[in-house]
Amino acid sequence: MNVHGLLGPALLGTALAIPNWAAAAPYLPKDDAVVLETLPGRPNDPAAAELRQLRAAAAAAPMDAQAAARVARRYFDLAIAEGDPRYVGYAAAALRRWPESAAVPAEVLVLHGMLRQYRHDFARAMHDFDLALTAEPGNTEARAWRAAILMVQADYAGARRECELLAPHTTELHATACAAYVAATTGQARAAYDRLSRALAQRSELDPGFEVWIQTRLAEMAWRTGDFAVAERHFRRGLALGIADNFLLAAYADLLLERGRAAEVVALLKNWVRSDTLLLRLALAARRLNLADGDKYVRALGERFADAALRGEKLHLQEEARFLLDLKGDARAALAAASENYRSQREPRDALILLEAALAARDPAAGAPALQWLESSGYEDKRVREAAAKLKAMKP
Amino acid sequence: MKSRYAFLASLLIAAAAQAHKPSDSYLALSVDGAALRGQWDIALRDLEFAIGLDADANGEITWGELRAKHADIAAYALARLAVRADGRDCGLTPTGHLADEHSDGGYAVLRFEAACGPAAPASVEVTYSLFFDLDPTHRGLLRFEWGGAAQTGVLSPERPTLAFRAGEAAPLAQFLDYLREGVWHISIGIDHVLFVLSLLLPSVFVLRNKEWKAAERFRDTFWDVFKVVTSFTVAHSITLSLAALAVISLPSRLVESTIALSVVLAALNNLKPVVAERRWAVAFAFGLIHGFGFASVLADLGLRQGTLLLALVGFNLGVEVGQLAIVGTFLPLAYALRDGWFYRRVVFGGGSAAIVLIAAIWLVERAFDLKLL
Repeated sequence: MNVHGLLGPALLGTALAIPNWAAAAPYLPKDDAVVLETLPGRPNDPAAAELRQLRAAAAAAPMDAQAAARVARRYFDLAIAEGDPRYVGYAAAALRRWPESAAVPAEVLVLHGMLRQYRHDFARAMHDFDLALTAEPGNTEARAWRAAILMVQADYAGARRECELLAPHTTELHATACAAYVAATTGQARAAYDRLSRALAQRSELDPGFEVWIQTRLAEMAWRTGDFAVAERHFRRGLALGIADNFLLAAYADLLLERGRAAEVVALLKNWVRSDTLLLRLALAARRLNLADGDKYVRALGERFADAALRGEKLHLQEEARFLLDLKGDARAALAAASENYRSQREPRDALILLEAALAARDPAAGAPALQWLESSGYEDKRVREAAAKLKAMKP
Repeated sequence: MKSRYAFLASLLIAAAAQAHKPSDSYLALSVDGAALRGQWDIALRDLEFAIGLDADANGEITWGELRAKHADIAAYALARLAVRADGRDCGLTPTGHLADEHSDGGYAVLRFEAACGPAAPASVEVTYSLFFDLDPTHRGLLRFEWGGAAQTGVLSPERPTLAFRAGEAAPLAQFLDYLREGVWHISIGIDHVLFVLSLLLPSVFVLRNKEWKAAERFRDTFWDVFKVVTSFTVAHSITLSLAALAVISLPSRLVESTIALSVVLAALNNLKPVVAERRWAVAFAFGLIHGFGFASVLADLGLRQGTLLLALVGFNLGVEVGQLAIVGTFLPLAYALRDGWFYRRVVFGGGSAAIVLIAAIWLVERAFDLKLL
């Protein structure tokens, strides 16, 4: 069938003349002073100066793997702080000369693994960490990463084993943090909270970045057992450390949303629209409060998911499912995204969105994997338990 | 220090999703006869990293700063793009610079021409290497238009070259996709189905003295159905096209509520006849509104300028095919049963009453944004 012949050339000309991207509309700015982009970081940022130095050092010693690794690590830290994947790309470029093999230093292998897991390539990341541990059996970082990935995959026995293997090579606080993280997800949130907060109290000096992590985890553990005030206290302590942290902000915003305190979410996140994960929370809060900005945020999120789809990547499925369910009201599409997400990501919040999407779509069978997880893990959170109970009561 | 930081990082990130959009450029190429033109949207953040734009180092990139670098940008970018037509290299010349916004920030827009010789090419090959040395996760999102049909592709370090041939069959596949979507939508679009059924239920009757009597000739019934279905189709095709071409747009709540109202009225008319002969006019009037409903589905499927008409015709034909399937199933059954008690009381009377009830609930839900069922 010749479609063009069928339609007629006149119509084709008008509709198809302009090659363009769906949302794009190029324009000529009206004068030179128009600001087109605000770069992340402050002017004269010390981090930028440090990076310049590290890059210069690596460029001066092109055969020095350690110099390249320092550049990669610094970029990776930036990617985490700002949630910007560009820096992961820059880190990968720094390691280009040293592809994964048993011949490169353990430090470089660990970095390769870190970059891979960032792109959700968990299998190859695990392999990189294995190689690093073969080269250097006491490499705590590779061990901790293996635990982290096993947690994402809901392999709690495996994660616990990694924590045990980690313990002899690290401080007591790290070992406790690792074990408590696993315990808190497997039905012992209260005991894990007590252990971790005791271990924290015994340490006087602490890297502020690590303390942000501990405060966030303590908050989640308290939240899980229904101690909302305690959870909030830990989130606030984490925030008070003054380190920009996407994950802490997202988790705190989730608590506030769950407690019906949307106005505080708007105040907390209104300057974080660049981050997709935080924009999602901001949009949820603005919609709940019927703010004029709500539609704008929802539209912007929709465009970002559409852009990600053009790229052919699916790193945002959990957020996309939440977006489809709570902001678009499209339960079917949300369930499809949540199900696909759950095939590779099995953290509690991945299970929650799967349960809620299955409920909304009235498709109990689709929620079965999350129900199984809940049964076998013993995870305690009330919202997850309630969603699961409703789904079980639903007739297929 | 090292292990301490590492540990924190590890358990943190594995849990955190990637929060920003990664680096992409948007490259649109179009072939029109022998002329090949391009538009390339490149993120200012990436250009800043690669060649430096922020001359006064204040953290903001202005149009003035960008303008000062236009020649450098064109030279840098075009050196990292190769276009070959029928195996010959094409010379790339910048033709203009603009600015744009994508969902993640400001972009420089570089327009260019490719000189590939006097003949219209039969094949074009695009090789891309922008930023791959600086950021191997960068991607070039290519949209390639040839004679009105558009194809898309992703350029990556693993696959930096894409080739296109004139007149590939891709549009047909897309057309069939939209056709399927149309059929699927009518089969799950229960409100549209109920509207058409409500109007068809009395087709096997004629109205005499305000009472429905069984029709005597199949021909009458057939023409009645034909008029109703054709009017509905013509009407919704008009508004579907207008809405998809962005000539008219209506708020979806108004559209969805009116669709529910149309179902209520059509079914009520069966219980308490007001319109009989001219039900085709009712089908036409409300068909206009149903068209807007279809258009929102089509918009959700994601439309691009290049495939708009293809999509429109495919989707519309799909809707008609689905509709004909429903009519084809309904008509013989209804005609065969029209004399009996079952059709008149249960199907016609009971069915219409049930439709009124369901559609009234939809109407309240949609008009007041409630969830009753």
